[in-house]
Amino acid sequence: MLQSPRMSDIFIQGGRVIDPESGFDQTADVLISNGVVAQIGRISKPANAKHIDAEGCIVCPGLIDIHVHIREPDPNHDETVKSGTAAAIQGGFTTICCMPNTNPPLDTPSMVKFVQTQAQQANAARVFVVGCATQGRLGQQLAEIKAMADAGAIAFSDDGDCVADSAIMRKVLQTVKEVDGCFMQHCQDPALTVDAVMNAGVMATKLALIGWPSIAEEGIIERDIRLNSAIGCRYHAQHLSSGGSVDIIRKARASNQCVTAEVSPHHLLLTQDLCDDYNTMAKMNPPLRSKTDINLLKQGVADGTITILGTDHAPHPLHRKQTTFANAAFGIVGLECALPLYLKALIEDNVIDWPAMLGMMTINPARLVGLNRLGLGSLSVGGPGDVTVIDPQLKWTIISQEFASKGQNCPFDGWEITGKAIATIVSGRGQLLPESEHIRA
Amino acid sequence: MPAISTDRRHLLSLESLSADEILLLLEVASSFTEAAAGRVTPSTKLDGKIIANLFFEDSTRTRSSFTVAATRLSAQTLDLVGSTSSVSKGESLIDTARTIEAMGVDLLVVRTREAGAPAQIAREVECSVINAGDGSHEHPTQGLLDLLTIQQRFGNDLTGKTIAIVGDVLNSRVARSAIHGLTKLGVNVHLVGPTNLVPKTFEQIATGPGSVEVSYDLDAVLPSLDAIMMLRVQFERQRGNAITSDYRSQYALTVDRARKLPPDAIVMHPGPMNRGLEIDSEVADDPDRSVIFQQVSNGVAVRMAVLTRCLGGS
Repeated sequence: MLQSPRMSDIFIQGGRVIDPESGFDQTADVLISNGVVAQIGRISKPANAKHIDAEGCIVCPGLIDIHVHIREPDPNHDETVKSGTAAAIQGGFTTICCMPNTNPPLDTPSMVKFVQTQAQQANAARVFVVGCATQGRLGQQLAEIKAMADAGAIAFSDDGDCVADSAIMRKVLQTVKEVDGCFMQHCQDPALTVDAVMNAGVMATKLALIGWPSIAEEGIIERDIRLNSAIGCRYHAQHLSSGGSVDIIRKARASNQCVTAEVSPHHLLLTQDLCDDYNTMAKMNPPLRSKTDINLLKQGVADGTITILGTDHAPHPLHRKQTTFANAAFGIVGLECALPLYLKALIEDNVIDWPAMLGMMTINPARLVGLNRLGLGSLSVGGPGDVTVIDPQLKWTIISQEFASKGQNCPFDGWEITGKAIATIVSGRGQLLPESEHIRA
Repeated sequence: MPAISTDRRHLLSLESLSADEILLLLEVASSFTEAAAGRVTPSTKLDGKIIANLFFEDSTRTRSSFTVAATRLSAQTLDLVGSTSSVSKGESLIDTARTIEAMGVDLLVVRTREAGAPAQIAREVECSVINAGDGSHEHPTQGLLDLLTIQQRFGNDLTGKTIAIVGDVLNSRVARSAIHGLTKLGVNVHLVGPTNLVPKTFEQIATGPGSVEVSYDLDAVLPSLDAIMMLRVQFERQRGNAITSDYRSQYALTVDRARKLPPDAIVMHPGPMNRGLEIDSEVADDPDRSVIFQQVSNGVAVRMAVLTRCLGGS
């Protein structure tokens, strides 16, 4: 790994260059100069450029994760902008959007600016702020949505909690529409999920844990689509867990409703069976569900119902997992192993191909939150020098203790997987550059 | 002697025991019934051992029963209960357990409000752990004493017998242990109660040869039963309005209903009873049918067997 204070040109030679936005997919060289993409095609090796041998690798727009918890501000420092963006870089993400369920929450313009300042100092991945939809995420009074939008918030959400009250929800959608923003819903009917800690079903009955039924997700999505049909706000359903939700969104999209959805690695690979023996690493919100749900989620990815991949990176210190299941924290860290896990779930299982998967990690999320207007999420000459180089063959073992993230709560710990970002370049700066045979001075 | 497969240091659930292990424990418990009742000289099997009752939730009968069982085996006991323990000071269950273990205690008898906590403690300590009830999950020594009580009436081979467990099954650790234990020994189990307290998912939680069937009609199953286990309505664990005012008319074991049982069927209840709610006093005290106090006596013998097993003092 190599971090360079002085910007030098980066020459990426001979990779499979994929730009999902334009449909470009061929072997080519990429030259990044002065922070922007200077050339794509057959390029003779320039002098004084860092040289990445990308033969056998995929070269694509910098990956974007619109669903990250970087836990700053928070007195516990379970993660910081610094550690969270370092984790993003390790995982190939050049841009992350951070959720506002911090302590205190991100519900004012000054809080938005605070995170932006921290991100500038960290100087790693780009960070965009998702502001609260309601004050204090309490679901009662609207937050300063317009002022936060002026301060640079790119979307609004009470993530971690659902905006449950229908009247408040309608006001949120109307206001977010006025600022041409995006609303991201954590789809969970609170009345149906009081004290719920895992999927409702046989395993929850056996373990005597309180179940979180799929209908609590599906019902909120149904309601929100109806509320939004007259408003037309960009409505985004976060971290789908239920196969039933896919069908609702599929029908809504077929009738041109303004709705998108995302899915996380754990909901594509793990089931509620992992909760057996009170394994708190498997405690997620929304919960891990069944093999049937996984298959329906994959169908949703295959047919374009689900268009965005988001990790829901949620770091916690280990002691918050080393307690009883009911008391343990919800969540899983995701940034550093998301790419190979998506690869395993979606490409190795023949659900979609590389260009489609990369589209769900670049241009699709960029369009949702308007980052495409900054040229993010695509690869074009003159556009930002945000590039990720992926070695799709590289085999490695997930060791959560080695994460740059301060969170080690990862049920994938010990998994042997394939595929890794070997270079993460943000605005022409090589944040992560290969130490191995790929780099030549 | 049947093979013992699991880690004998702990008893955390009946789900994790094989039928052979359960039968062996029942055989040992049966051999302790005289000693449990104090009719023979106390055993010195566990002389010098220290057993800590670590009760994060109130209990009278289970804690007393473990104490009597330990005393009959010449072990010393130490009580740490609810509000006097460090839990009220914010220490985690696991830290409290490790602290007690660090004092040189040989065995922890653990009761918690939360499902799974004893198993999690067992993973973190070197000493033995017995689950004395974890939330609504399991209460394995209760399950064993229920099995012993049924054996005493019907003989050691319970294959093909039929039992109904009636009432608040969802919130009952007694029911979950009973379901695992009974089905492993080939007993067919009817679970009866209102839908929100007896979800259909219970039909799939057990893997034993006995069947589990959910039913909402108590009167229909009564004539087929060898035993009926009435559960206490657990007001303290109710969420929402699970118990409706017609609960008694639908699911109580009244004098009239008891008449529909076959003549040799037994009536069980884990206690403490809500007399006049889930069970009529006349039925609870019926000397021919009721084995409710025999269950309590058997509890001591079963706990002696379990303590001996976990501490290797055989």
